[in-house]
Amino acid sequence: MSEAVTHAVLAKIRSLPSVPGTAANVLRLLRNPRMDALRIERAVRYDPGLTANILKLSNSAYFGYRGTIASIRQAVVRLGWNRMYQLIIATSIHGVMEEPVPGYELPRGELWRHSIGVAVAAEALVRELKLPPSEEAFTAALLHDVGKLVLGVFVAADFDAIQDLAAQGMSFEEAERRVLGIDHCEAGGRILQSWFFPPVLVSAARSHHEPDSVEPTSALLDIVHVADMICLMFGMGLGQEGLQYRPAEGALTRLRIESIHLERVGSRVVSEVDEVMNALNPNAVETETSEEKE
Amino acid sequence: MEGVKYIVGVADMKISNVPGDVIVTHALGSCLGITIHDPVAQVGGLLHVMMPYSSIDRAKAEANPWMFVDTGLSKFFLEAYAAGAVKGRLQVKVAGGANVQSNGDDRFAIGTRNHIVLRKMFLQNNILIAAEDVGGTAARTLCLEIGSGRVLLGSRGVEREF
Repeated sequence: MSEAVTHAVLAKIRSLPSVPGTAANVLRLLRNPRMDALRIERAVRYDPGLTANILKLSNSAYFGYRGTIASIRQAVVRLGWNRMYQLIIATSIHGVMEEPVPGYELPRGELWRHSIGVAVAAEALVRELKLPPSEEAFTAALLHDVGKLVLGVFVAADFDAIQDLAAQGMSFEEAERRVLGIDHCEAGGRILQSWFFPPVLVSAARSHHEPDSVEPTSALLDIVHVADMICLMFGMGLGQEGLQYRPAEGALTRLRIESIHLERVGSRVVSEVDEVMNALNPNAVETETSEEKE
Repeated sequence: MEGVKYIVGVADMKISNVPGDVIVTHALGSCLGITIHDPVAQVGGLLHVMMPYSSIDRAKAEANPWMFVDTGLSKFFLEAYAAGAVKGRLQVKVAGGANVQSNGDDRFAIGTRNHIVLRKMFLQNNILIAAEDVGGTAARTLCLEIGSGRVLLGSRGVEREF
């Protein structure tokens, strides 16, 4: 039975739309080290939505240039290629990641909130642990759970069977593998592969719950793994499967994680995640206690 | 009576004395949700705290006391008293404090530590807990109706009064 489900999951991945055209173009240009800001600007200019979003994000406090960046060219020069790459990926996957996710029962916007949260947590963790700066941490973290978008409907159909295994102490992603033949990590890796994302991002999505299983081990993967755990513990993107995930001992040892690191990073993420989300979508969240008229 | 539904986020709280109001918090993982309610004064509140001790970051605690059990809890009760609640009449309920699956490693046991510090503070201040649903790995949702004092606890799609 799980073989049929696995085939259905893979077919669904193949039928996914690709990354929007402009974003794919610009990402290709950005990977060329000899590219100049003017050519990037030309490529982005044809997509007013992308331009507006990049400028909004560039000018958010999190990215460090509040209200001072007026053009894509300035953004490239002041933020650098790496930040531009992150901003373009964030803006181009925002729409699809906003969707509600069945199975995990994440309401609209919650997977996106989790993704941004883990991205912010990954960068905060790098600083907290005084690790060398990681160019890929933000993007790898942002994309790590993309597999949930595809796997969600299959998890919903077999939730009770998966949950029965998890209730016996199996981690949720392992229970997904047992019942569906594939977990959300592998599904995510395959999606990113089909979008032609670099192997380092594919691998981060594919192994984010099992960083100890990868040879050689990767600091980037360890960071994404711990950042994900932090956000789940503090309720960002916490689905109906709850906290049925297991921290990888090897990753904790390699990063020399102490509980104070987890708490400090958690406190930063909660303070910063809304700011980054608001920069992308002013209506997405309110930072104050929100009200709904009954 | 017409009221407002308030959604309390992580590291936040809401107190109300409007009988039609409902206060909800979603996705409690390791965080704790605490509801208090005075049925006579019809004053109640919900607090969503993240971590046990503010000593990890004093500046953060200064900016947002609701982040920590030690700074958030006492301030939460004081605000309820200021709104008309009386300590001896308060119904106190607690939910959350879940942990990730563990191999005996307690570095990630923030849910347990939150609960220990909360119990210690309640003991020191003679506050009794009327109901609690704490620990395990479940994600929980907590909802308080100010008029009736009813508290609803949701987990894995099932909601129950508690």
